[in-house]
Amino acid sequence: MSEQALKPAFLDGPWVREKLFLGMPLRTYLKSLLTPVNAIAAVILLAGIPTIAYRFAKGLGAATNLSQTNPWGIWVAFDVVCGVALAAGGYTVACAVYIFGQKELRPILRPAILTGFLGYALVLFGLVVDLGQPWRLPYQFFLTPGTTAVMYEVGWCVFLYLMVLGLEFAPAALEWLGLVKLRRLLGSLTIGIIVIGVTLSTLHQSSLGAFFLMTPGKLHPLWYSPFLPIFFFVSSLAAGIGMVVVESALSHRAFHDRLDPAASVDLERITLSLARGGAIVLFAYFFIRLQGLFASGRFDLLATGWGAWYLFEMLGFVLLPSLVFAFAARRRSAKLARIAGVLTVLGVILNRFNVSLIAFNWNVADRYLPSAGEVVTSLTIVTIGVLIFRWIVNRMPVVNEHPDWRGAH
Amino acid sequence: MDLNRRTLFKLAAAAGTAGVAAAATTSRASAVTAARDARGVLVDTTRCVGCRACEAACAEANALAGPEKPGDDSVFASKRETGPTAFTVVQKGTAKSPGGQDRFAKSQCMHCVEPACASGCVVRALEKTAKGPVVYHADRCLGCRYCMIACPFGVPKYEFSSVTPLVRKCTFCAERQAKGLVPACTEVCPSGALQFGKRADLLEEAKTRIYSNPEKYVHKIYGETEAGGTSWLYISDVPFESLRLPKGIERKSYPELADSALSAVPFVITLWPPLLMGMYTFSKRRDAVAAKEGDGKQEERHV
Amino acid sequence: MNETELLSPYTARAMEYLLAITYLVLFIPFWRFVQGEAAVPEHALGFGWFHVPNGVHLHVGHTWARPEGGDVEVGLDDFAHKLVGPLDAVRLPEIGAPVRQGQKAFTIVAGGQPLDVLSPVDGHVVALNEAVRAHPAEAQRDPYGAGWLMKVEPRWLTGNLKNLFSGDAARRFLDLAASKLAGRLTPQLGVVLQDGGTPVHGIARALDEDHWDELARLFLEGK
Repeated sequence: MSEQALKPAFLDGPWVREKLFLGMPLRTYLKSLLTPVNAIAAVILLAGIPTIAYRFAKGLGAATNLSQTNPWGIWVAFDVVCGVALAAGGYTVACAVYIFGQKELRPILRPAILTGFLGYALVLFGLVVDLGQPWRLPYQFFLTPGTTAVMYEVGWCVFLYLMVLGLEFAPAALEWLGLVKLRRLLGSLTIGIIVIGVTLSTLHQSSLGAFFLMTPGKLHPLWYSPFLPIFFFVSSLAAGIGMVVVESALSHRAFHDRLDPAASVDLERITLSLARGGAIVLFAYFFIRLQGLFASGRFDLLATGWGAWYLFEMLGFVLLPSLVFAFAARRRSAKLARIAGVLTVLGVILNRFNVSLIAFNWNVADRYLPSAGEVVTSLTIVTIGVLIFRWIVNRMPVVNEHPDWRGAH
Repeated sequence: MDLNRRTLFKLAAAAGTAGVAAAATTSRASAVTAARDARGVLVDTTRCVGCRACEAACAEANALAGPEKPGDDSVFASKRETGPTAFTVVQKGTAKSPGGQDRFAKSQCMHCVEPACASGCVVRALEKTAKGPVVYHADRCLGCRYCMIACPFGVPKYEFSSVTPLVRKCTFCAERQAKGLVPACTEVCPSGALQFGKRADLLEEAKTRIYSNPEKYVHKIYGETEAGGTSWLYISDVPFESLRLPKGIERKSYPELADSALSAVPFVITLWPPLLMGMYTFSKRRDAVAAKEGDGKQEERHV
Repeated sequence: MNETELLSPYTARAMEYLLAITYLVLFIPFWRFVQGEAAVPEHALGFGWFHVPNGVHLHVGHTWARPEGGDVEVGLDDFAHKLVGPLDAVRLPEIGAPVRQGQKAFTIVAGGQPLDVLSPVDGHVVALNEAVRAHPAEAQRDPYGAGWLMKVEPRWLTGNLKNLFSGDAARRFLDLAASKLAGRLTPQLGVVLQDGGTPVHGIARALDEDHWDELARLFLEGK
């Protein structure tokens, strides 16, 4: 076999080289992939993919620490419940830019939407790994829809929102591929798509909290509340803002060479404007959580160990980030805003873990800790998301504007 | 049941206002309507001797491996759990009767009048039947295990060790009932602790027993209001907690807990778009005005 | 729910209302704090207050570069001039000396303090503005014109320009510098600036007589 046959012509064609290999010949491109970050990613994937295969070959019992008392583990708590909240940046920023007219946020709109899109795709992936018989996922849409179930509503919303996010991100892909007419058509539909996206997000973000409305005896009273859907919705706004602050700072560092020199000036201003939003949202969220406590009237529980854990979440990861955001906005310190962003993201993760795992089944003896396989699988899913994000940003106009489409919708 | 409801609607339309009122009360299945003809079991724990014949009969009826250590009372030492291969287990109470006898209670699916598991099932794999049993369609279940999260009694159990796992739980012998037979456990019970019948009748029977022996029984029927009412009802002469029946169960129906959230969905769908479009129009107009006013200043700056 | 004493429904509801009202009372000052309305400087030092024409490329250290023929004119931007006030002296490198983007190129002296300034481009010096050397205080009258300081023959101009701000980006960059500065302004000074007057000795000295040079260096180092 000659070398020519091993390397089909299309692999080195001008289109492939320009669009896929970042303008490099195949060999140079492959060499450019040898970086420390890629090495870490490769190690995680090498451990993770066989773990996932093992889970499907041997079943949930062999791969996880799930039990009859703890039927949900981190694949639900982190991959799905946290995943959806952390993917909220897409609708938060889209709403701010298009509905509230916060035009200065535009440079981070596409990265936020892409993060959201990948986030939801990964939620779906996590769900497939976690479900006992995932191939029956479509049953809820066609065969035997359980319309009374909260999960039915969440399923439809997530399914539709995934398509909406696809449409919201499509302009970047179409600009990359140079499909002008389709791109124009989509531009004219933008506002409608955004409105549907925000509505769907409102619904399913809150409904994730509604999952736990039926568990008053299992979820600790400091976290159980009939207002859980409202808590989940409002904190998803905070999660969206926090994620966008953190993610834009990280990708600014990672994709520095793809940015306009003015981008760092813009980013500082954007971060501060997000900080103002974050401060207000978290401030209101803190008080509605307090309303939940007042409504339950269980102040006596604050004096227990669980009460300390509740205050730790409320003061350290709701009130504190709100105040840090406020100071950041006041002092015009993007650095402080990023610290608050990290605190916010950690806070939402902590809250989702508390509701779905830590304070859930608080009163039973058999507590759950994830198995190594579960942790590796969740890590793998996150890694896949980061890799796809990077692959797309390096090719499509995400963090930078396409020269032909500057300022277009 | 569906057909009945539709007929009712037609009747209502014909019968005018009074009929409409009647239709309105039956347009949604509620605890009362569903339970009218439904079957149940009354467990009189004062009569149970802990022979575990029900366990063996259950295993046979559901083609499960037989109960652990039949005839050996050492199994009662600790709390027993139902599982994927044991749909019912007999618990030994931690308290003795006033007469010094051991007390036992069989645990299994309670077959709630309004079951959390069925209302939360996204593919209707768990379904409440009009006759009482909460049945499971193995061919629909996708294994989300939300039923296990939602069930306040911790009944549904999962085959974690299987590659195509299913939820397993007591079926109230729905198939036997359809053939006119009684549930296997109630058939074999030698002491008369398990009495099968219409739930409504059994409630009256339970009350009669309590009222005619007011010193003997605890004045409460476990299952009358628990989780909005269950098909299985328990009466006892020792506290129900000592029989390891779950405590802290809400008095109201569990699906109702999620109802308000789900009822809000159509309202959000209706109100959000006009609200968002309104804000969009507002911010667009504001920008247009700002751009007009800003034109003059902009030029000054570039001079 | 719990077996212990329950609050009366009247008290319980009243407490919820009280919490909501407490929130409202706290929300107003919080909102004002976050939005920074209490701070005068934001609008006192309005955006667009510092001037930058098109065709000029700004470096983060507040020097500018303008390609002219094959060479590049280099000077201090409007912001730097207004910050430090009239210059006492300009210590420029010799003709033929190499300069590197982002590294020290020359020194200005204002208020008796020498301040290092970074070069916006790579290359070597080909001409110096003798008029400014003779009368350094005049440079601030026309920072982008007669106030140029030196000419440089660039090494890789296209690459260098990518790292500089021009047009809208340049204006945004100066706005950001202005807003950084605004955080330190006193209300009185803000009013003076809004009226179009710059303090005689520059904004930095008006802000902090004792440590103004540290503030000026911070901006000139592009921080």
